[in-house]
Amino acid sequence: MKKVVYWSSEEVSSWLAEEGMPEYSDSFQRLNGKDLLRLTEADFKKPPLSLVCSDNGQQLLNKIKTLNIEHHIEAHKNGHANGHLIKGKNGDSSSSKAKRNGMPNGFRNEMVQIHMPMPEKSHFPMEWGKTALAFIYALFCFVFTTVMISVVHERVPPKEETPPLPDKFFDIFDRVEWAFSICEINGMILVALWLIQWTLLKYKSIIGRRFFFIVGTLYLYRCITMYITTLPVPGVHFQCSPKLLGDWEAQMRRVIKMIAGGGLSITGSHTMCGDYLYSGHTVILTLTYLFIKEYSPRRFWWYHWICWFLSVVGIFCILLAHDHYTVDVVVAYYITTRLFWWYHTMANQQILKEATNTNFFSQVWWYSAFQYLEQNVSGTVPRNYQLPFPWRATPFSRNVKYTRLDT
Amino acid sequence: MASPQLLREVDSVDTQLDVHMEEDVGDLSNGFQRSSPSVNDEGSQSQPKQSNLPNGLRKSGRKHQDYIKISVPEPKNRLPLEWWKTGIAFIYALFNLVLTTVMITVVHERVPAKETSPPLPDKFFDYVGRVEWAFSISEINGMILVGLWCCQWLFLRYKSIAARRFFFIMGTLYLYRCMTMYVTTLPVPGMHMKCAPKLHGDSQAKLQRILRLISGGGLSITGSHILCGDFLYSGHTVMLTLTYLFIKEYSPRRFWWYHLLCWLLSAVGVVCILVGHEHYTVDVVIAYYITTRLFWWYHTMANVQTLRSSPQNYLSRSWWNPVFCFFEKNVQTQVPCSFSWPIAWPPSCFKSSCKNYSMVQSARRQ
Repeated sequence: MKKVVYWSSEEVSSWLAEEGMPEYSDSFQRLNGKDLLRLTEADFKKPPLSLVCSDNGQQLLNKIKTLNIEHHIEAHKNGHANGHLIKGKNGDSSSSKAKRNGMPNGFRNEMVQIHMPMPEKSHFPMEWGKTALAFIYALFCFVFTTVMISVVHERVPPKEETPPLPDKFFDIFDRVEWAFSICEINGMILVALWLIQWTLLKYKSIIGRRFFFIVGTLYLYRCITMYITTLPVPGVHFQCSPKLLGDWEAQMRRVIKMIAGGGLSITGSHTMCGDYLYSGHTVILTLTYLFIKEYSPRRFWWYHWICWFLSVVGIFCILLAHDHYTVDVVVAYYITTRLFWWYHTMANQQILKEATNTNFFSQVWWYSAFQYLEQNVSGTVPRNYQLPFPWRATPFSRNVKYTRLDT
Repeated sequence: MASPQLLREVDSVDTQLDVHMEEDVGDLSNGFQRSSPSVNDEGSQSQPKQSNLPNGLRKSGRKHQDYIKISVPEPKNRLPLEWWKTGIAFIYALFNLVLTTVMITVVHERVPAKETSPPLPDKFFDYVGRVEWAFSISEINGMILVGLWCCQWLFLRYKSIAARRFFFIMGTLYLYRCMTMYVTTLPVPGMHMKCAPKLHGDSQAKLQRILRLISGGGLSITGSHILCGDFLYSGHTVMLTLTYLFIKEYSPRRFWWYHLLCWLLSAVGVVCILVGHEHYTVDVVIAYYITTRLFWWYHTMANVQTLRSSPQNYLSRSWWNPVFCFFEKNVQTQVPCSFSWPIAWPPSCFKSSCKNYSMVQSARRQ
């Protein structure tokens, strides 16, 4: 490239266009390189140049300066700042084969690609695979529970032999027939609300993973407590279906019927007895409320209150209907809340994700499963929301391109 | 309280400052005011407009040196003993024990008779028949473990903190037990159980029963375990598990043989409860679960300091969190596993007093 002093006015205007300052090309029509270099601030204070741009030509002057430097450096390839080589005595400024580039600090003329560091790995990777695993685990626990109920049903002592156990709540409150339907309706409402809320969350996979894991573990515990000791029916109103001693096919059909109905008596699938300690309905009511409250904005206090109310009324109605002993409900509440809080505290504190001597939380049997699920999640999952489908898919959005960067 | 040496140093610094000031009056440093040129000659002008010293350092007259007290921050004791808090925890545990005893007496009246309500089906009982002397083994193991824990506790250095935790956790576990016992009454687990006759409304006899139960510690070896109905959940399991957890936690890690021994005692004791058909399996399982969770929860909260100030600490939602904060507020670090003789030996009156090492120490003692 020629030195700036030798530029003609056309080259000046093409340079201006290149640099993105076409507004000056009108005023500089008869300006050549030499004059360009001689521009000073004072020139920009007087018309016509002061009318072109409001920055008093600062930008243009800076660019001219840069241009100057480039050419100066190229002209004096030897004997100057760092990286300069001292050439031989007849150092020719425009010799094409300079030993080195002759510019300080490796300054080069062409476009240089600056590698932008890739954005850091997300703190909350989606990892849908782990969520799928957790889902399968929960599903397995549900099916296992159903099978267990079917097994335990065979062992429930008949009501005539073993009357219902004395229960303080039953002494105080008599049975109300329609109460259990209320409980189940509340449960269904809460589950539906939680599902809707879950679809609106941004970090669906992480939260879904947690829900499945906790629910699965709770039902697994429930299997154990149901199986080892069988409590008698809490009330004489119970209609337990007859026992199928050894008839595997019929038992299988029963299991499938229960799964299909979700274990609710509204759907007619809650015909088996013996699954009293501890109460699965309480687990669902409590757990959905805890998740709803945890993953919704704090200012929706009215929403939290409604869900809390639904949950409490539901649990109360279980007892009112004499469908579970009080101890079943109390134990279910305790285990659910503790597990939820335990898991979330561990997930939110990095220090608890390592098994050290002070970290007693690592003594639980499910600690390695927890580590597997949560090891890449660093920090608290923020409560961010987004529509489940991309906004641009709807006809309402208008794609406006703001910068060339967008392309 | 500055020692004379320090005073002398201060004196010399002061002198230097004065000299410096006389030379460069009206100079730059902060807080200087440009005083009138008349002050320029001697530093002993009686009324300077301002004290002419940088940064508010007061120019004390050289004849009248004040002691400059430099307060050294006292090293904070990170593990204060606070025996009075242990006292409160002890009263809490005692209260809960008494409450449990009263509750057992109340519940006893409501246990359905064995004839009307036969024992519930239990998986373990189906497989393992009853062994008569098994329950005594369980109780002996429990007594050994409690004895071991007491001995170990005597030798701990931070007795009060460990005892406070033990009493609090035990008290809370028994409180939970009261609740579960009371709300639903399970029938007796086996036809062999001999329950004392019901005293309908005879309060005095009930009181006598309560006292008998407390004095015997609730053990059937001592003949005080005659009441039925306290099945969900098992108090024996609680004691066996809890003493083992405490023994393991507050003893050195290298005593692995000791830990193994205690673990064996505990496990055998728990199994023997079931073999003796004294509790349902679900009682034992729930007792184990609640005991371990509560122990681990409490100790993690106490040991991991970052949890206390973290807003994401869900553990603080338990109902006993304020009590926990009260007990553990001043315990800043994990209780180290250090031991000391229970009685200070030799007694301090025989110890020779330390020599005075520096004048600072004597000054401090003033």
